[in-house]
Amino acid sequence: MNNRLHRVTRELRASGRRGLSPYLTAGDGGLDQTLDLLHAVEASGASCCELGVPFSDPIADGPVLQAAADRALAAGTTVNRILAMVARFRDNGGSLPIALMSYWNPLGHRGWPAFCSEAATAGIDALIVPDLPVEEGGEVMEAAAAAELCPIFFAAPTSSERRIRASAAASRGFLYVVGRTGVTGAGTTFDSSALDFLKGVRALAGDLPLAVGFGIRAAEDVAAATRYADLAIVGTALVERIHRAGAQATQAAEEYLRELVAATTSVSSSPSSD
Amino acid sequence: MKHTRFGPYGGVFAPETLMASLEELEDAWRSLWSDLGFRARLSGLLRDYAGRPTALTHAERLSEEFGFELWLKREDLLHTGAHKLNNALGQCLLAQAMGKTRILAETGAGQHGVATATACAKLGLDCVVYMGSVDAQRQRPNVLRMQLMGARVVVVEHGQRTLKDAINEAMRAWVSDPQAHYVLGSALGPHPFPSMVAAFHEVIGQEARAQILEQAGDLPDYAIACVGGGSNAIGLFRAFLEDESVRLVGVEAGGEGIDSGRHAARFAGGSPGVLHGCFTWLLQDDDGQILPTHSVSAGLDYPAVGPEHADLERRQRARYESASDEVALRAFAALSEREGILPALESSHAVGWVMEQAQELQGKRLLVNLSGRGDKDLGTIFALRQEGASDAEVLS
Repeated sequence: MNNRLHRVTRELRASGRRGLSPYLTAGDGGLDQTLDLLHAVEASGASCCELGVPFSDPIADGPVLQAAADRALAAGTTVNRILAMVARFRDNGGSLPIALMSYWNPLGHRGWPAFCSEAATAGIDALIVPDLPVEEGGEVMEAAAAAELCPIFFAAPTSSERRIRASAAASRGFLYVVGRTGVTGAGTTFDSSALDFLKGVRALAGDLPLAVGFGIRAAEDVAAATRYADLAIVGTALVERIHRAGAQATQAAEEYLRELVAATTSVSSSPSSD
Repeated sequence: MKHTRFGPYGGVFAPETLMASLEELEDAWRSLWSDLGFRARLSGLLRDYAGRPTALTHAERLSEEFGFELWLKREDLLHTGAHKLNNALGQCLLAQAMGKTRILAETGAGQHGVATATACAKLGLDCVVYMGSVDAQRQRPNVLRMQLMGARVVVVEHGQRTLKDAINEAMRAWVSDPQAHYVLGSALGPHPFPSMVAAFHEVIGQEARAQILEQAGDLPDYAIACVGGGSNAIGLFRAFLEDESVRLVGVEAGGEGIDSGRHAARFAGGSPGVLHGCFTWLLQDDDGQILPTHSVSAGLDYPAVGPEHADLERRQRARYESASDEVALRAFAALSEREGILPALESSHAVGWVMEQAQELQGKRLLVNLSGRGDKDLGTIFALRQEGASDAEVLS
């Protein structure tokens, strides 16, 4: 599979190194800012980026990402403009793997085969769709495979072993592990039950890389998350920081992400599974 | 999960966190729906507590005036004042059998919220109801009723602040607390909700079919119901699907007119997509964003239609029309003044369509589901009449 995300996450898995996967709401602060932020994410040493396409009705998101989506939509952000911005990022030499993340409707609206082909052409590497469980994933998987995009499904603490195996088998690039039940952004601590859950997913997911998300804010969260996961996802905390930083958003994001990336490398010597 | 679709529509488009709850719900529902003890308990509650069967009334004065034979299935007479209690009692009884103690619900017009608060009070369950602030204001009596029965009402200030946003918030609450049971109030959402909610409302059509055969001596030519999510309509329609002579008509909210863009007529102004867990007809823009809706009735003010209706429309077994705010308000007045029934503004859309189509319907036997009563709408009605009166003064 000739795909940036697939290549990067395979390398992480093979080397035992760990990485960071930051989430950005595309168009929050304007798409020009999002373009600068993508370059900042790449410069920070993060392994990949999840680029959120704003949707009017985000049922799995907490107040921070809801507000970011509202701001982005109010600024006139559309799927086409996001893809054009990603194409500019690639033209500028950006090689960071990018996963487009949104709900079924804004992505699937134009038909999955057409959408996957346009997304791949623009330089997208993967699709993450929170309201698409694996049993509804057939059409998306087929279209993604044809366009050489990675479809990414979820594992949650409520998922049965059978479901985790099925989501892992259907995913390419990584499996998105929801660290706890809840919407995005609510606080979390990586207590022993969360670590047991991650360890359990690791055992069920074969050799597929794992990315764990929900509630990660500080370097110690990243360190804990990457004990068993290949990637730590930081979303709400980053989006909040970017919004607060205003004109200094790019610089603030890069500094913050460098700190978190450093926390992943500090555990890179631990074995990838045990 | 099995049989999650109606033709191409429906499905389970839910976050992974909820999938275990949906699988558990499907299992429980399938086993209890065929469990005679559960069915007897539910029938007993519907009869002795809720007041089933509800009456079938021949609307004689309107029939004479318009030249058709109009029969009203009186779901407005059900305890709490709308058909919603059929589903709320069914789901709460199911949740109790599953060992759940905490119930979440959304509400638009407040009727489903009241029905759920009622069922929870009766069965001893904790109840939280999410309601958009626009709806909480225009259906204030229902907020008070829920609170009096011990439910906590959470007012939602996000988005358009109506039913859609209440569902968003209830789904988020369920994602955060998957041990609770979410009593979805219409025949929409992820599987198994559309099938399950329709099954709990089938009693409407079953009773109405037997009653009209008994009282009128024959089947109706038309069975008609208003369609928001579509639960009262599917409850009526299912009993007549095999009766090929019976035409099925769903009436959506035409708001200020389809051309105005301010309406909730999904089949007239929408296209297929995914919202709140199912693939169905939606009001959306070219970029797949959900469009704002408008209706004078909170219960029809919603951008998606239940997936079984989408399939009935595809198969041309039912047709979907719309009635404007104005037509619904005229029907409200007509039923009030000439039949002594204050109908819900939602149900007034079905009656309004019938009055508008009187030419086509001459001599026909019509069965309209009067899904709820209008007490909750008095504030809206009087405010509009005052507005109308002052407009008239200005014009004169």
